[in-house]
Amino acid sequence: MPPAHPPPPHEPDPPESNPAGDDAPSSASSEFWTGVRDELPLQLGVIPFGLVFGVLGIASGLTPLQTILMSSILFGGASQVVFAQLWATGAPPVFVGASISVINMRHVLYSASVAPYLRQLPLHWRIPLAYLLTDEAYAVSIKRFLENPANPFKHYHLLGTGMTLWVLWQITTTIGVFASTTIPEELSLGFAIPLTFIAIVAPTIRTRPDLLACITSGGLALAGHTLPWNSGLLIAAMGGILAGWLAHRFNQPRVAQ
Amino acid sequence: MIWIIMIVTGLLTFAMRFVMLSGVAPRKLPAAFGEALGFVPIAVLTAIITPAVLMGEGNSIMLLDNARLPAAIIAVIVALVSRSVVMTISAGLGTLWFLTFLGV
Repeated sequence: MPPAHPPPPHEPDPPESNPAGDDAPSSASSEFWTGVRDELPLQLGVIPFGLVFGVLGIASGLTPLQTILMSSILFGGASQVVFAQLWATGAPPVFVGASISVINMRHVLYSASVAPYLRQLPLHWRIPLAYLLTDEAYAVSIKRFLENPANPFKHYHLLGTGMTLWVLWQITTTIGVFASTTIPEELSLGFAIPLTFIAIVAPTIRTRPDLLACITSGGLALAGHTLPWNSGLLIAAMGGILAGWLAHRFNQPRVAQ
Repeated sequence: MIWIIMIVTGLLTFAMRFVMLSGVAPRKLPAAFGEALGFVPIAVLTAIITPAVLMGEGNSIMLLDNARLPAAIIAVIVALVSRSVVMTISAGLGTLWFLTFLGV
């Protein structure tokens, strides 16, 4: 029988649940596990995506090691898919870097959004939390931060969501790599990638500038699809951002002089 | 070479996730930059979605005889109504499989 651990003297036992609501004290570990639990439903979208990326990486001519390690080096689904596609077309390195940078630029927004809650943390917390700041972890944890801004352990929530996503992303990528020859072509699992993006994008189109950005980008992507190295993607993305931004500026109510 | 590109793009991605937590960046993004960034997800993801739905063999745009197009339209509707990633993927793949099974 293992020896019983004495409870730490400076800390009360963490409550199993938090029935008293948002103001009740919460411990680091309960906050972490809340993050893990909150992140789990999103994994139903992440799992097929990870599998498909594993398959796609091999199909694009990456080695199994390159495909698997890309999931921890880049750790961003959309950018990894585009990286593999660009690699398959033989795009020049600078072009790959530019495309990935544009795709991942949205993380600056997430970074700015969580900064008020995490700015005070020491560097050894801010670095791993920044690394784990993906679409899915951000989406879940920012809600928690907004509801519970004073919780001293709130960063454990992001650690929980981020690590859940990280672990499942690595596992599913690896399975995808080794199962790539056994997944039947007829299942068209690759179509899960645009479907995931449709699920993310469609509900975010709320204003006319949003719609204009979407239409411009889609139109340019089709018009430019025969350009070398998939450069239609970069042109379409930049065009869409510019169109949306100009429309937004034009729509701004003028301040009376 | 691929390792260098991967590590450099990985560092760039990390830098974009870290920048506002770094303590070096200004506390608020410049207004115009923040507004432009707001359009990045829509523009980037649409640029990936459109060719994936509409391009056929030999780089031609397929509007007819393309089961992915109705599947994507169903997926957009389900996404707007349910706001659920799981429902959207299920509806889209389900439609695609069903139409392929019918031989459409």
